[in-house]
Amino acid sequence: MANSATTSTASHGTHGDDAHGAHPTEGQYWIVFVALAVLTAVEVGWSFIGLEGVALVLPLIVMMVVKFLLVGGAFMHLYFDTKIPKGGTFVALFAIGLILALMVFAATISAFEWHV
Amino acid sequence: MALIEEPVALPAGAPSAPSTVKKPLGAFTRPKNPTGVVDWLTTVDHKKIAIMYATAAVLFLLIAGSAALLMRLQLAVPNNTLLDGDTYNRIYTMHGTVGIFLVVMPIASAFANYVMPLHIGARDVAFPRINAFSFWIYFTGGIMLNTSWFLGGAPDGGWFNYAPNSGVAFSPSNGIDFWNIGLIIVGIGSLTGAINLIVTVLNMRAPGMSLMKMSVFVWMILVTQFLLLFAIPVITAAQVLLSLDRLYGANFFNVAQGADPLLWQHLFWLFGHPEVYLMVLPAFGIVSEVIPAFARKPIFGYSFMVFSGIAIGFMGWGVWAHHMFVSGMGPLSVSAFSMATMFIAVPTGVKILNWVATLWGGRIVLNTAMLFAIGLVIQFTFGGVSGVSHALAPADTQQTDTYYIVAHFHYVLFGGALFGFMAGFYFWWPKVFGHKLNEKLGKVHFWLMVVGFNATFGPMHILGLQGMARRMQTYDASMGFNRWNLVATIGAFILGIGTLFLVVNAIYSAIKWHQAGKPDVGPDPWDARTIEWSIQSPAPAHNFDVDPQITSVDDFWYRKYAEDENGQLRQVATGAELAQPGNGEGVHLPAPSYWPLVLAIGIPIIGYGVIFSAWLTIPGLAVTVVAMYGWLMEPGDDLDDVHHGDDEHAPELVAATAEGTE
Amino acid sequence: MSDLALNAEHVADAHDDHGHHSSLGLSNAKLAMWLFLGSECLLFGALISTYLLSVANFIREVVAGNPEVIDTMGVGSPIMAEIAEAHSVEPMFDIPFTSASSFILLMSSLTMVLAHKAVSEARYRESRIYLGATLFLGATFIAGQVYEFTAFYREGLTYTGNLFGSAFYTLTGFHGVHVSVGLIMLGSLLYLSMRGRLQQDRAETVELVGLYWHFVDIVWVLIFTIVYLIP
Repeated sequence: MANSATTSTASHGTHGDDAHGAHPTEGQYWIVFVALAVLTAVEVGWSFIGLEGVALVLPLIVMMVVKFLLVGGAFMHLYFDTKIPKGGTFVALFAIGLILALMVFAATISAFEWHV
Repeated sequence: MALIEEPVALPAGAPSAPSTVKKPLGAFTRPKNPTGVVDWLTTVDHKKIAIMYATAAVLFLLIAGSAALLMRLQLAVPNNTLLDGDTYNRIYTMHGTVGIFLVVMPIASAFANYVMPLHIGARDVAFPRINAFSFWIYFTGGIMLNTSWFLGGAPDGGWFNYAPNSGVAFSPSNGIDFWNIGLIIVGIGSLTGAINLIVTVLNMRAPGMSLMKMSVFVWMILVTQFLLLFAIPVITAAQVLLSLDRLYGANFFNVAQGADPLLWQHLFWLFGHPEVYLMVLPAFGIVSEVIPAFARKPIFGYSFMVFSGIAIGFMGWGVWAHHMFVSGMGPLSVSAFSMATMFIAVPTGVKILNWVATLWGGRIVLNTAMLFAIGLVIQFTFGGVSGVSHALAPADTQQTDTYYIVAHFHYVLFGGALFGFMAGFYFWWPKVFGHKLNEKLGKVHFWLMVVGFNATFGPMHILGLQGMARRMQTYDASMGFNRWNLVATIGAFILGIGTLFLVVNAIYSAIKWHQAGKPDVGPDPWDARTIEWSIQSPAPAHNFDVDPQITSVDDFWYRKYAEDENGQLRQVATGAELAQPGNGEGVHLPAPSYWPLVLAIGIPIIGYGVIFSAWLTIPGLAVTVVAMYGWLMEPGDDLDDVHHGDDEHAPELVAATAEGTE
Repeated sequence: MSDLALNAEHVADAHDDHGHHSSLGLSNAKLAMWLFLGSECLLFGALISTYLLSVANFIREVVAGNPEVIDTMGVGSPIMAEIAEAHSVEPMFDIPFTSASSFILLMSSLTMVLAHKAVSEARYRESRIYLGATLFLGATFIAGQVYEFTAFYREGLTYTGNLFGSAFYTLTGFHGVHVSVGLIMLGSLLYLSMRGRLQQDRAETVELVGLYWHFVDIVWVLIFTIVYLIP
């Protein structure tokens, strides 16, 4: 069959991928934002109450990761992308970079001698 | 406005439409049916871009190769005075830098660009203008790097330019600034190319072509692009840090302020090791096509080939510090990386075995392409074996920084990757240019290269184990290195002539073909397996008339050869019968554009400004910004401007989509 | 096929593959943006690791009393003494101020995503408000960074003086440059919208700029915790 852009059988059901269903409401975005703000406040507070070592750092990292996931999943739409066919590709492509970065730089950092 | 590329209607033979293009926001029109030089400067056709990549790479090969020959001349005899120490440092630095970044990587890009879209049945790549930009920024960046020869001296710290040695204190001339900025610029091209090709493979495959029905070549290209995508940012970061130190006085590599001298090495080799895999994987992909074609058998163990390629790509990230065994990083790191390095030999070994198994029992056609492919298999194995010997950290302590290492990486890179590229040239030449390269000359080419290559780098194993150090511009007569150095030099000149035979053959074959009246070599001169052989030669501008419908790996082969009652393969059709006639009517092709070239000119000007004078960055930035906006603003479609008077049509578009035309 | 349908088809094609089927049914441009963001992880990973290493080395030198390092913020600098005692660069930072900056950037992510929603639902006036808000908040963030930098500079932390200065200004500076590039893109979108050229069919463009913007925000989430909060 001849190829022509105008007689396309291309998938129309896309304004990108805010496709049918799986799209957050404005209210949901606001909730995410409030959660992020609260987490930030808790993080700051946590750093001021005089804890040290793992007790200080571990919860901070956990909160950081949660914020990361909130922005990525909600604002960057990744959670909703997984609901459409092949949408998980976006997650996968980003995750490869992220996990690779975490692994190689964790390995690199541990290869140095730390004196602090 | 075309932020995203829109195709142009280019019915074959139709006259170009009169220019009734409105110019929204003062955007410039795109070139209309350019010819000659302008055609090449503004093309976005992946095939033309591939040819430019290969041509530019050959030009840079002259530089890298001449540097090598100069080194060999200097080392031919002891206590030679042809090149002094400083010059020698620059020569080997540029030999490596140009060879890796401006020769091997671009040749891989050439093959990826030409063949990959054909292998997946696509019209072009996902972002044709970005594709053009990737080439031009490589070219202008490469030129910029080489202007360092005349503008204060080429870089001289080795192709890896370890800091702190490459800092201002120890390398005051601006050669290393050129190295930093030049490679950052070239790296932009690699990064954009990687994004482009990955999207193309993921999203533009012919109907029926699932991932596991793609050719091994495409798989290797895909893995390579992922490696590039993640490795380039790391070296960019490292080079930015070094530039900040050198140009603006930062302290990242300032040991007096407490900096760790290993920081550079880790960052560099985090890039550097994936780098070597991304140089060789495309060649692996090429021979994975050539060997089955000329053994008349499918590749042995397709899934193993695919998964071992992925494994190499993944594991390649875990071995970088084997370049640092003697850096003082501590026994725990050394042991960990030593083990990881030994493991990575496994997937590579799988590939070697699979190629041999493909050859086994095949009806071998020993033409030039096949000779080069077999050459890769044998010579890469040599290089791989010496590589395993380096993986043993105690042994490497003896070998490192000697010619034993030089032998290793030239066996895998030159004897491996470059021989693979030669196989690719001979294999795909008829598809690209419409005629084959001459076989007799090809055999001469091959044997010159084999003899020359092994004569040059074989003895280096011995020299290395005898203790000859790398990067030393001379050696004393009493050291016992004389004989093999002389042999290596003679071998190098044979190799140089042999390598140039590609160009000789190209010219000779073209002349003979023209003299014979340009006979049509046909779509499938090799009776090969993959779908690029199902279109005419040279490949028409639009690639496929209709989307090929894919049902299996080597789909084209199985349309020619079907199994009969006895389970034997019988020819049911020839390639020529099955091939698409090359009728491009009604086909939309991406329109050409000036802006990729303009952008590629603007960015190096900024680079010169950063190195020499901040005032220069202003015109550079101006050109860059104008080019970016020009690119974004240019109409996607000159001839078919019904859709693109946005101001007028916007309300109707909204109405149309709101009506639920989905 | 009517001209109108032609337009609509062509318009929808902008989102997929110009009339060719798309193997994954996903947008090329969006795939490309995610790949780019994946590569940026490696870039910022390298810079953050370098920061951690550099600051650790700096503190080590300060604690050890290395004269070449101790004087780099001015001889007898009180901050330097605090750093030496705390074994950390915490004394340098003004956490409440920086948390306000973080809050602002997070809010800009909210307005960004609301802007995209508005464009995709053809609420153009609202989209301009949200785009403008994102632009404003982003610019405020940059202003905050500039203020912070000048404050540190006045306390003696120069770019070239020591490892801490080089690493800190480089890491946050790189992030700031990324934010600034985002501001240029936002400004361009706003301009286009005001010219009536940022329509529903171009919602994906807004989405892509948004993805970039959110990523820059995520990087700040990381930097804020790692640089400012964790000693």
